[in-house]
Amino acid sequence: MTSLEPTQMEQSCMRHEPEPPGEKVPRRKLLGWLVGVINLGVFAAIFTPTLRFIADPMRRKKGSDAWIPVIGDGEIAEGETRSVDYRVNVDDGYMVSPLRYSVFLHRSGGEVFAFSPTCPHLGCNVKFHSQNDRYICPCHGGVFSADGGRISGPPPHGLTKLPAKVENGQIWIQRV
Amino acid sequence: MRDQPGSSVTETKGSPRSRKLVVMDWIESRTGFVSFSRKNLDEPMPPGVGWWQTLGNLLMTLLIFQFVTGVALAMFYAPTPDHAHQSVAYIMDGVTMGAFIRGLHHWGSSFIVLVATLHMLRTFFWGSYKKPREMTWVIGVLIFQVILGFSFTGYLLPWDQKAYWASVVGTRIIATIPYVGEHLMVLVRGGKEVGALTLTRFYGVHVMLLPAALIVLTGIHLYLVRKHHISGPVTPRKGRPAPFFPVQLLRDAVVVLVASGLLLMLAVAFRPELGGVADPSGVTFTPRPEWYFLGLYEFLKLMPPSLEVVGTLIVPSMVTIGMLLLPWLDRVESRHPAKRGWIIDLALFMILGIGVLTLKGVLSEPPPPPKAPEAEAVLAPAPTPPSRP
Ligand code: FES
Repeated sequence: MTSLEPTQMEQSCMRHEPEPPGEKVPRRKLLGWLVGVINLGVFAAIFTPTLRFIADPMRRKKGSDAWIPVIGDGEIAEGETRSVDYRVNVDDGYMVSPLRYSVFLHRSGGEVFAFSPTCPHLGCNVKFHSQNDRYICPCHGGVFSADGGRISGPPPHGLTKLPAKVENGQIWIQRV
Repeated sequence: MRDQPGSSVTETKGSPRSRKLVVMDWIESRTGFVSFSRKNLDEPMPPGVGWWQTLGNLLMTLLIFQFVTGVALAMFYAPTPDHAHQSVAYIMDGVTMGAFIRGLHHWGSSFIVLVATLHMLRTFFWGSYKKPREMTWVIGVLIFQVILGFSFTGYLLPWDQKAYWASVVGTRIIATIPYVGEHLMVLVRGGKEVGALTLTRFYGVHVMLLPAALIVLTGIHLYLVRKHHISGPVTPRKGRPAPFFPVQLLRDAVVVLVASGLLLMLAVAFRPELGGVADPSGVTFTPRPEWYFLGLYEFLKLMPPSLEVVGTLIVPSMVTIGMLLLPWLDRVESRHPAKRGWIIDLALFMILGIGVLTLKGVLSEPPPPPKAPEAEAVLAPAPTPPSRP
């Protein structure tokens, strides 16, 4: 190696000619690997923490299971289905947002049922049509019966039932 | 002397012309830019190249417009749930030319999807993706994906009802992917629900990640276009290639002029809408995607629950993968559409399918907000009768 003229060595580098004989591990190859390892290490050192940073929301727990009062017990009659709006403070990343949500309440056999309006298909809010006692999703036409069961359309199953109870003359629900 | 920009200037010192040459000389020797642009202006155009080959240039011009208006909008926009809608309303009504600039950005995005589609169809039917231009096509398909990414992330930013609900449904599609779907959706939304972190996330992707990706991909695309030159008509015509400048460049300019004129007229005539602020309790609102996603939207309506993942994941990703692999799927050597058999039939079938579904989506538009007949309008698009077991 040392016996080579600089110009010849340069030329051999550029042409990627075989290494001079007599070396166990070719020097060029070794240095090439070293550069590769250094670059990989540097990129990993930057990218790994960045990716973990971006993925932070995946480590968060689900929403709170607090009971929320929505309406008075007397405001819904037997057999009736109605949509009720309520406000909750929701942890929303860096802020707490006072958000308005709605829930369908249905009283049947004296018991109160609560259904999330979120369509189990792709998450549009369903609407209740009292004239035929059905929930219909405006997005892709999912149809549900008054007890939340799936009737037709693309949704995979019925509406999500939310925990509901009557206490102190109020109807309470949980958002889960 | 003009032909040898590297040569030194000796005669007529001090005259304006020679001073200009000195400057050109300097620029050439320091940057090589003079010979670079000359080489590009002399780029040979095979006979038969004409108006169809102006679409790429038009697309790039529209993307630059979008970049300019986007930077301007970013100076007035605040990506937070409590201010996003407000800041867009302020852009529309409080800022000089605000509605117009937002209009350019809004209509520009539709123009871009349209022109990108035409550009791809031209390349497809001319068989221009065949050897040696396979990678130019692949990069082009990636650019198209980036463009759709821009539409999807940009759509949320005004934070009105339309934006919010389209993004709720759009991101929810991710959750239908088996096993990893729910987690991926949380990653994309930045939380379980669409909220503050979805907005910052989409904003970051829309103004940083996608522009960077677009610039890199466009650079590679242009390099490849120049490396392999323009492919010309499917059956080579007689005659000599003409230089890019002036005839083809003039065609480019005319097409850009007409398209920009249309875009300006649209932006002046039609204010981009800004609906009511995003409301998760919005039971009265029917979400609809932007027109170029309506085909997929209608397709999802047709899918029974057991085949849901076919509509949300399998068909869209197969179309994308098929497009990426197109140069290797189409093994016929001829570029002539009549000789390429099944690949042309399949493409025609898909174009027809997407066209019909998009049209169906456009026509099934529910009348905006009339209160009383709403129930009827909502009942109408149900694809299956409720009597199904
Ligand atoms: S979101 Fe309800 S049917 Fe698709």
